[in-house]
Amino acid sequence: MAIGKSLDYKKSCDSFLKLVLKRKNLNAAWIIETKEKRLISKYSIPRGKEINIKSSKEIDWLLSTIKSTKLIKYDDRYEDLAPIEIKDGNLAIFTLKDQGFLFLFSKKNNLRTKDLLQLQSVIDTFSINLKACKVFAEQHNLLSNLEIQNQELSDYAHMVSHDLKSPLRSIDGLTMWLHEDYKDKFDDYGKQQLRLIRSNVDKMDTLISGILEYSTIDKNQVDTYDVDINVLIDDTLSVLKIPEHIAIIRKFLPVVKGDRYRLQQLFQNLIDNAINFNDKANGYIEIGALEKDEFWEFYVQDNGKGIENVYFNKIFKTFESLENNLKSTGMGLSIVKKIVHLYEGDIWLTSEPGKGTTFHFTLKK
Amino acid sequence: MLITTVRIIEIVNLISQHAKDEAVLISIGEHTEVDINELIIALNSVNLKFIGGLFPKVVHENSILEKGIVINRLHNVENLFLVHNVSKKEYRIPQVNFDKNEPYSLFTYVDGLTSNISYYLSELYETYGMRTNYFGGGAGSLTLEQKPCVFSNEGFYQDAAVFCVMRMQSQIGVRHGWNKVAGPFIVTKAEGNIIKEINWENPFKVYKEVVELHANKQFTNNNFFDIAKGYPFGIVKDNAECIVRDPLMVNDLGEIICVGELEDNTLVDILNGNENSLIQASKLAAEESLEQAISPTKAIIIDCISRVLFLEDNFDQELNAITQTIKEKHPNISISGALTLGEISSYGEGFLDFYNKTVVVGLFE
Repeated sequence: MAIGKSLDYKKSCDSFLKLVLKRKNLNAAWIIETKEKRLISKYSIPRGKEINIKSSKEIDWLLSTIKSTKLIKYDDRYEDLAPIEIKDGNLAIFTLKDQGFLFLFSKKNNLRTKDLLQLQSVIDTFSINLKACKVFAEQHNLLSNLEIQNQELSDYAHMVSHDLKSPLRSIDGLTMWLHEDYKDKFDDYGKQQLRLIRSNVDKMDTLISGILEYSTIDKNQVDTYDVDINVLIDDTLSVLKIPEHIAIIRKFLPVVKGDRYRLQQLFQNLIDNAINFNDKANGYIEIGALEKDEFWEFYVQDNGKGIENVYFNKIFKTFESLENNLKSTGMGLSIVKKIVHLYEGDIWLTSEPGKGTTFHFTLKK
Repeated sequence: MLITTVRIIEIVNLISQHAKDEAVLISIGEHTEVDINELIIALNSVNLKFIGGLFPKVVHENSILEKGIVINRLHNVENLFLVHNVSKKEYRIPQVNFDKNEPYSLFTYVDGLTSNISYYLSELYETYGMRTNYFGGGAGSLTLEQKPCVFSNEGFYQDAAVFCVMRMQSQIGVRHGWNKVAGPFIVTKAEGNIIKEINWENPFKVYKEVVELHANKQFTNNNFFDIAKGYPFGIVKDNAECIVRDPLMVNDLGEIICVGELEDNTLVDILNGNENSLIQASKLAAEESLEQAISPTKAIIIDCISRVLFLEDNFDQELNAITQTIKEKHPNISISGALTLGEISSYGEGFLDFYNKTVVVGLFE
């Protein structure tokens, strides 16, 4: 019997029940589910009216007596059970467990007890197939909804970020004018407050830019071409302010396939992070790569503050920052993780508090 | 009524006189020297409603004719329909308003050489269900070259079907007379009308083993059809005769190409018949149709052309067996029909099927 060839509910019913109708020379087949004392039709061949009615006592009693299967003479008392108009004949009812009841109808006497016994095992398998169809449909719906919600969230983040930037620029401009126009009138405390406003505005600007970047990383088409990571690190270091007490050590760095802009975002965030959390008088950041069979394993190592094991997952989440640091927005490492995943790579870290941290990530060759 | 003239004006006049303002069913022998497109235009000009088909041969009373036009008046026609693109499944069967107190009969001709005929029949049954009897056959040329073969007021088409729904009682008898030689076997893989595996083995290997032993003949490179025409497959059906599938040829992969579709996991027997069993079956089909008929005015015979190829000169005896059986009980009944590429009916008013090598007798009240 053609069971389990499809995970589509209607197709599964079509292929199996049409075969049963042909093989047994029957006239009709349909499936009814019972839900909160209601009868709901799920499938019918021939196509009939949709059933969604309150069950009667008589039908409740009939269905409650069916342990696996039952053969009855059809009469008008069971009219509510049939989506199609039928008169006299034999009606076989099979329980499909959570999937309701299957009804097979024969105008002539083509359904006998031996037919029911013969069909029982295949109908049990059919009921499992129907359950799989439903689970598959639910999973499909969940995924579709998730995709829609993700898109909406991303669009929302994009829109809000743009809208927030505008008043932020106004605040920044206004505080700058205040500082310039009234610098003689502010005392030290006033000047300090103004500086605090501007640094918070800066932080907020960085945060919004981070949200924007995060929400657009996987939205635009990803072009891949050869990118020399040595050259890319030169460019990255030129835009970052490297404090004098931190040395940059470069080891072997390969040419990889990727998009230059995103790869620069990736390294820039990791190096920036290593700078911001380095508390040593003689700090260093070492950048290198190891060749593996199918990918490059990069690392960015520092001798900074280090991170406790318990925070290893937390630091990659958006808006999560381990310190209330004006320079940290909590977006940098989540952007890093998203870029690595975009290129189907993995990212992880090893760290020892007080001694330093190494971020490892892979990029396909 | 039989028309032998090929002059369009005369044909139209004769049909108009016979039709008496009712719709007509036109069955034409494929060698009839008439331009069907011109005939359609001429029939439309006198506002005649019609459906029809082109067949290897047509039947009129006790004669089989390669040339000739057989006309049947269709009483109480509710609707005439044309279905395009049968092979592509791109159509919807229109709804008909059935009066539940009246009997109905549906007559259809379909391009017998197109694919997905089973789907078309399944759609008919899903839409109209048990509210009507079904009867018809496959049109087309004995050359097995697909070309336009069904027509209606809308034109002359291939890959199409025509059907009419009539408010009329009908009784149908279906028989083939082929008997089981070996089986059952499982068609473990099939695609449309191609058997790709039997019992998980090469289908020709399985078929050859059975048939060569039974027929005491060897298959060579060019005698497949000569032997296979006497050894069709039978799709096992409970409570009725099996459905015959005619093996037409074997391809380079040892797959067997049949007339008519099979589905995966269909249970089949290998059949064989002889002149006597086939002729006896045609008589039984006539008797079966007569059992319930009260006062039929017309008999339509849909007989498979492959039975002619098998019975050769003895086919007259088959036709005689049918006509004599009917005329004995109803001497004034008109008898006509067609030799078709596949036959259509529902065994015992069950699910609709497409048959091969079968005779279907319909009596209309």
